[in-house]
Amino acid sequence: MSRLYDTVEPSVIDEDMLQRAVEEQGPKEEAGKLAKAEGIDFNDVTNLRLDFKNILKIDNLWEFTNLVKLQLDNNIIEKIEGMELLVNLVWLDLSFNNIEVIEGLGTLTKLQDLTVYNNRISRIENMDNLKDLQVLSIGNNQLTELENLVYLRKFKKLKTLNATGNPFCENVETYKQYVVAYLSHLEFLDYRLIDEQSKVAAKEIYAMPIDEIIHNEEAEERKQKENEIKQKELQIHTKAYVEYLDGSSLFDSMYAEDSDGQRLNEMPGVDELLAGFKEKFLGVCQKIFEYGLSENEKRQAEVNQFWECVEEAKTENKEAGMKIIGTFFEERKRVLAELGTITDNQVIDDKIEAYQSQINELWDKLMSLELQLVDQLEDVIKDFERNMQEMVSTFLENVKAHLTQCRDLENMHHERMMEISIVTLEKVIKNELDDEITEELRMLFVDKDTIIGAVSSSHDLHLLKIDNKEDDIETRIKNWLSAMMEKIRNEEEIKRNRVRVVEINHQIDHFKEEIDNLDFLQGP
Amino acid sequence: MESASEESPGLVPTDLDTTEGADVTNDSSELTADIGEDQEEGSSENVEGEEEELSPDAEALKVELAKIVVHSPAIEKKEEKFDPAEFPDSYKNNLPKELLILQYSDNFRRQYVHLYRDRKPLFLNPVNECGVEKFVCTTINPTQLPYKELYDWDTAAEFVADYLDFETLDPPYELPTRLLSPTTVLKRQKGNCFEYSTLLCSFLLSAGYDAYVVNGYATKETCLADETREICPLLQKKEQKVEEAKKKELKKYTVKPPRDLQSKFELKMEQRKIAAKEAEEAKRRQEEIERQLELEKPPPDPLYGLRIHAWILVLSGKREVAESFFIEPFTGLPYPVDSTNYLGIESVWNNTNYWVNMQDCSNGVQGLSYDLGDCTRWEYMFPGLDKPLLQIPETEDDLMAGLDDEEDEDKEVERHLDMPPTWVEPLKLSLKDFQMRCPLGKKSKLYKRAKLQKFAHYLMPDGLISRLSVYDDRELTDLMLIKEYYDHRQDKLHTKIHNHRTGWISEHFYPGRHRCLKEHQYKASAPAPENERTMIFYNEARVDGLKKRIETPSEMTEHFVNRDDFMFYKHVDFGKRQKKFGPQEGSGSGNTRPINKMVQKFHRNKSKLANEDIAELVFLISEDKIQISYHTEDARIVSSTREYIKPSNWEEKGATLKWESDQLHQTFQVDADIKNKKQVEIYQMMLNLLKCEDVCRERVRESEDEVREILNDRSKEDTESELEIGVYDTDRNEKAKTHRKELERLQLEEKMRKQEMEIDYLAPFLAQIGDPEKVLRNQAFKLKEDCLNDLKQRLIDKANLIQARFEKETQELQKKQAWYQQNQVNMPKENEEDYLNYCSDAMFRIHILEVRLNRHKEMAPTKYMTLEQKLRADPRLAEYF
Repeated sequence: MSRLYDTVEPSVIDEDMLQRAVEEQGPKEEAGKLAKAEGIDFNDVTNLRLDFKNILKIDNLWEFTNLVKLQLDNNIIEKIEGMELLVNLVWLDLSFNNIEVIEGLGTLTKLQDLTVYNNRISRIENMDNLKDLQVLSIGNNQLTELENLVYLRKFKKLKTLNATGNPFCENVETYKQYVVAYLSHLEFLDYRLIDEQSKVAAKEIYAMPIDEIIHNEEAEERKQKENEIKQKELQIHTKAYVEYLDGSSLFDSMYAEDSDGQRLNEMPGVDELLAGFKEKFLGVCQKIFEYGLSENEKRQAEVNQFWECVEEAKTENKEAGMKIIGTFFEERKRVLAELGTITDNQVIDDKIEAYQSQINELWDKLMSLELQLVDQLEDVIKDFERNMQEMVSTFLENVKAHLTQCRDLENMHHERMMEISIVTLEKVIKNELDDEITEELRMLFVDKDTIIGAVSSSHDLHLLKIDNKEDDIETRIKNWLSAMMEKIRNEEEIKRNRVRVVEINHQIDHFKEEIDNLDFLQGP
Repeated sequence: MESASEESPGLVPTDLDTTEGADVTNDSSELTADIGEDQEEGSSENVEGEEEELSPDAEALKVELAKIVVHSPAIEKKEEKFDPAEFPDSYKNNLPKELLILQYSDNFRRQYVHLYRDRKPLFLNPVNECGVEKFVCTTINPTQLPYKELYDWDTAAEFVADYLDFETLDPPYELPTRLLSPTTVLKRQKGNCFEYSTLLCSFLLSAGYDAYVVNGYATKETCLADETREICPLLQKKEQKVEEAKKKELKKYTVKPPRDLQSKFELKMEQRKIAAKEAEEAKRRQEEIERQLELEKPPPDPLYGLRIHAWILVLSGKREVAESFFIEPFTGLPYPVDSTNYLGIESVWNNTNYWVNMQDCSNGVQGLSYDLGDCTRWEYMFPGLDKPLLQIPETEDDLMAGLDDEEDEDKEVERHLDMPPTWVEPLKLSLKDFQMRCPLGKKSKLYKRAKLQKFAHYLMPDGLISRLSVYDDRELTDLMLIKEYYDHRQDKLHTKIHNHRTGWISEHFYPGRHRCLKEHQYKASAPAPENERTMIFYNEARVDGLKKRIETPSEMTEHFVNRDDFMFYKHVDFGKRQKKFGPQEGSGSGNTRPINKMVQKFHRNKSKLANEDIAELVFLISEDKIQISYHTEDARIVSSTREYIKPSNWEEKGATLKWESDQLHQTFQVDADIKNKKQVEIYQMMLNLLKCEDVCRERVRESEDEVREILNDRSKEDTESELEIGVYDTDRNEKAKTHRKELERLQLEEKMRKQEMEIDYLAPFLAQIGDPEKVLRNQAFKLKEDCLNDLKQRLIDKANLIQARFEKETQELQKKQAWYQQNQVNMPKENEEDYLNYCSDAMFRIHILEVRLNRHKEMAPTKYMTLEQKLRADPRLAEYF
């Protein structure tokens, strides 16, 4: 159905066209008049139809961010583009165009119905993000490989597929069986219900390859789940500031940049020493890890409790406020009804005055309620902060104590290393160890100063790593605490209070205005 | 009771030492003779002593006086006579073993009387319906019946209480002389307390309970099954679960309450005042209650403590019974073992043994121990038969030692001491009788301020099964409330409560009705539609989720549950009906009540913004206004509102509605910063609202119609009130019954046909020769010949018969033809037609006869052959062919 370019002038999506389309398709009659008078904002439009317009290029649609349904059929579009911002799109019709490649749909995650019927597409691809896809019409295209349809297994919600009229449909029976077998979620193929019988028959034919695919998919899924779980655990650990401390990562990192140390470990007799050292070191690390997790839980519980209580207080306060307003509404109704029946101006004035004083009273009540809540929250937040600070500092103290143990272990290890290295040095000097040590190690045993220097520098490096870890934990947890407290102060204390005060004033103003207007109306 | 208490101190400790528990029975054999002799001597002496001192005159006078005989008008004791022929032998005679047991128990009784002269006699060997003495333990026959109600004690007791009519003991302070067998009791549906207990005990034992019949003393009310001082069990308020108000957990960060600025002292004083008032009130109430109680106390009973009664004791242990308790057979209700209704216990028994109470009953039954193995408290009759479960180890040793000592001597005696099998036939109860429950299917009971009538299922045409009337006074004159329970009704009604005080009737229905009605409350005086009423529905089954509809003449409120549109409440105000002038349009719909106001309330729909989510929608129809209030946002305390005034031409159909925003629309938005809605949106919203209003109004009308229809249905159902019969109820289900009968009939026919098939063709010929046992050879031949000849003759006869008919038909036809030939000319058309019809008919008949004859000719030889073959094969003749 592609039209030739030279016969028809291609048009461009410009403001004029859009404006016209929107107005045409917008509200009618009285509403239409109103809309015209007011103007229609493009980002309010939900449905847009741009068919039979000879559009060559999709463009200028970025304003229609709330668009749900877009029809661009029967144009001469060659490339899917310019739709990145239409994230709310559910229904997209691009049929009868000259599209060759499926692309540019990555952001349209809400898309359910996609029609690219009668185009020049040769491959189904680039649709990974369309998780909600339910209907796909890709008939009359240039699809040649049946295998390409396996790609559609991704879309678990896909119920309807229309793919007839493609080269691979030459052998209709094979095509149908293939689709039915591989896309088992499908309910309608080429606008016909797939019956149970043909499903079973098709499955039998392709049992083997499908089983394999299913197996692979399951394995993939499992892997993904495992990964997710791991990721989650790591998140928790990071939150507890003890990530990787249940393994040997700290220990490994100590030696990672320490080439001298690695070399020194090759000295005879170090193996056992190192093994013992590592075991003890890891034991301490494990302790830190466990302690960290338990502390994290405690902190979390504390935070949860705090929020629970705050929410409770807020709802209580809200209920109290609503009750006051509710009773006032009753009163208002009564007063307004009363005013309607009275004709004597003097009485009306009195009534209005009384009513106004009631409004003021209401304001007083609501404001005092709000102030009360502010006070309450302030106290509680203070308490909470104090407790949290205490908690954090105990946590840090304990972690530091554990890390000190690590340092002690390192110190001990260092001393032993020193001894061994000196002994080894002597042996080297006496040439007793000719074959047992590598050339690189031998380089260190030039003289006593060198070897001692190497050992101490290795030691210093190790201590530095431990210090770094300590600093890291400390700064992170402190940052967390201050950020949280900051947020609580801002959100709960200041922002909430502002909003509430504005709200109360607004309502009161409204009441006052109302009575004034009424007064004005009644006056003359 | 007092009799028991007086002698008890002397009884317990000394005479019956634990070691000598078995002695009583042992010694008794020696003792019996002596006692018997003593008594006889004593009585004869007395008689002689009186006669000695009479003078001759006196003698004459005596003779003279002796002539005057006054027969006290024999108060006919309605001792029912039973025809012994109805009963099996075991009822009329005693087996040797039973005789032995009778002797033994007699012996036991005599010793007992000897040892405890002050105590009442024991209930051991009453006569049965045939006048034969039977031991009470053998009168119990545990029988399981195929009704699941009899498997649990509460329902079994209820059944016995319902099924029998009770008779009082006469006189109430003496043991009955006769104890009918449970089978007879079931048949008569009458019995005294002993018969009740024996029957119930039979059921309970068969169901596995550790049950006993208790003979003792009870209050007058209990003995006469007088429940007028009891609160009806149906009325007893279920103990209200006092839900502890959840204490507000004081959490770590709970905010401090605002400071209380009220004076503590004033508060205290206030409280004190209130407390004083309350105390006064409570005191007054208490007094009132006491006064009431005093009033209700039964009058003092002169026979208090002497009235003999029998009831059931169920001991803990079996069938998961955690605590021992009594069952009162007359009412079927359980009582704790320290109940004040029972005043003393003489003895208990079941089908295994008989125990006599040795405990002090001066305090009623309080504090009695039911450890039947403890022979200081319970004197048993048969040693070693049952559960000597003494729980005190030392005494048990003693007991054992004592038993050991005696064992050798006792051996002979003990061998006879096992219980003979019961003489009572297994109990029988037909399903029909079981379902009738009460004698004649009806029973009524009086309770304190209440009357309960019970009816058998399917007995009443409207399905009534019980009616409870509650009165305000004890004389049962001031009716307060009637509760009626139904079952098997086609309209699913199960309870109907008519409160005579308020005039309200409430009807409760099972699920499964059209329109899912669950409860219907209305005023008896105004059952018509548009009156005060409340309808509760099974909302789960309704598409519109309606749960409750409350109506008054001018209002209707509906409550909904779980609707997709989140509506949960709808309220309609109706105005006064306008008097219509002019022609009436339609009958029903024309004259509806005008609607003044409709209110709809919605739950929060989380998928919408709070400011867009309507909480309350009010259609002020009389003022042409629509008011909307939205939900409150989580962090807000006020909500947005909107108000529309309908455009003037809104009622014209198809007209475009003009829009002037300032006058027609007012709004208040909580969030002042939020952008105002566009006029188009507001306009469209109004159009929507107008539609909503229409829909809402329609719904209201539908609701009204529904009410009317339900009421129509109800009145129809009330007049029809057909009962539903279960598919499995083969007795009552007419359809099933006819079906079954039909099946049976078919079966019977089939059987008949089979019999016919096997008709003995030889029989008449055998009869001719006098049915000999064995057929002789020549006889056999002759038989065969006769039989075949007979058949031949019959076949020929039949052929002849057909021929004769054929000829007759042809002749007639020919005659007719001839007649036709003659009269053909001047014959009216009708006759001609008749003639033609006749001809075709006749030809048809002739043809049939011809065919028949031919077929007969064809078949006859084969028939002949088959008979011959059959005869050859016949076992009676076979040997000769």
